[in-house]
Amino acid sequence: MRRFTVTALALLVGAAGLTAAGAIQGKKYGTPLTLTEVTKVSDIYATPEKFNGKRVLVQGPIVDVCAEMGCWLAIGSDQEFQTIRFKVEDGVIVFPMSVKGMNARVEGVLAVSQLSEADQIKQGEEMAREMKKTFDPKTVKGPKTSIQIKGEGAEVAGK
Amino acid sequence: MKGRKSQESREVWELGNRRVKGRRLNNVLHRDVGYLIVGLTLVFGVSGLALNHRADWNPSYRQQKVAKQIAPLTATDRDGQVREALSQLGVTEAPRNAFRPDPDTLQIFFENTTYAIDIPTGAVIVDAVRPRPVLFELNQMHLNAGKGAWTVIADVYAVALIMMALTGMFVLRGKNGLTGRGVWLVTLGVLVPVVYWALTSL
Repeated sequence: MRRFTVTALALLVGAAGLTAAGAIQGKKYGTPLTLTEVTKVSDIYATPEKFNGKRVLVQGPIVDVCAEMGCWLAIGSDQEFQTIRFKVEDGVIVFPMSVKGMNARVEGVLAVSQLSEADQIKQGEEMAREMKKTFDPKTVKGPKTSIQIKGEGAEVAGK
Repeated sequence: MKGRKSQESREVWELGNRRVKGRRLNNVLHRDVGYLIVGLTLVFGVSGLALNHRADWNPSYRQQKVAKQIAPLTATDRDGQVREALSQLGVTEAPRNAFRPDPDTLQIFFENTTYAIDIPTGAVIVDAVRPRPVLFELNQMHLNAGKGAWTVIADVYAVALIMMALTGMFVLRGKNGLTGRGVWLVTLGVLVPVVYWALTSL
């Protein structure tokens, strides 16, 4: 009985170690990428309605990561001053903050929606709380088009 | 008459024997599964406490922001601005990446550190992020960041917890068993989530 318990414990610890090692080395997150053709973020911003509801593969530098749950990435566009948010369901993918600054290829379904002033203020306050920043509701001026990718899979390159 | 009595007493004895064996098996299961899941219970318990309060702190990372000041950047292209900023900051390491999220801001990325520079004023925020020792790993396991084999381990742990709860009710007999104080404590424990759910869903 004693031998059995020790063996079972050793197997459990070994399996946990292997899992942790895989998590550190693995640079693929979520479901495998299915698309090969990359859509430019600038093209999405130019005609968002054209891509609404469609599956897209986007690539760019990871310029921000959800610090709380690792549930979103901000991907820098091919053009400056543009970023797109890659949002995954909480817990489905957990991005470590160490991926910040790396290059990513991310795939998911593009969602375009109209945000009212009230929605923007609520979202801005939530983001500010999450990122420990301040948010001024006066910066919200009129409705805004929100563009984000409902994330499914990602590949992160070393640099 | 005597034969029937003896048959009845044998049946009662066998029933009692089966009950004793069942309780012994129950207690052995409760004991050994309990020993096996001590490690996992500590993993999920400690990280659960940490993650439960993530609105108040970041349970996985230690984030430190330091303000610095350099001269306003004069270069107009991004690469020139990066060179100028790093030279002023005395950083010789090659950055991972650089990006301008808006016309006035330059972000320079290094492993675990990001420099956000206000181009017109030269104000710099150095944002250093380090995983919290031990807690980071525990939280990654709690959130099932690794997926794969850990999903199976966590499922087995969940089943083991259910088994612990069920076998735990039948460990003792008598006034401290399920028919004694046990029934009151089990009822109280079940009422906690039920009452909470009823009150918060109104």
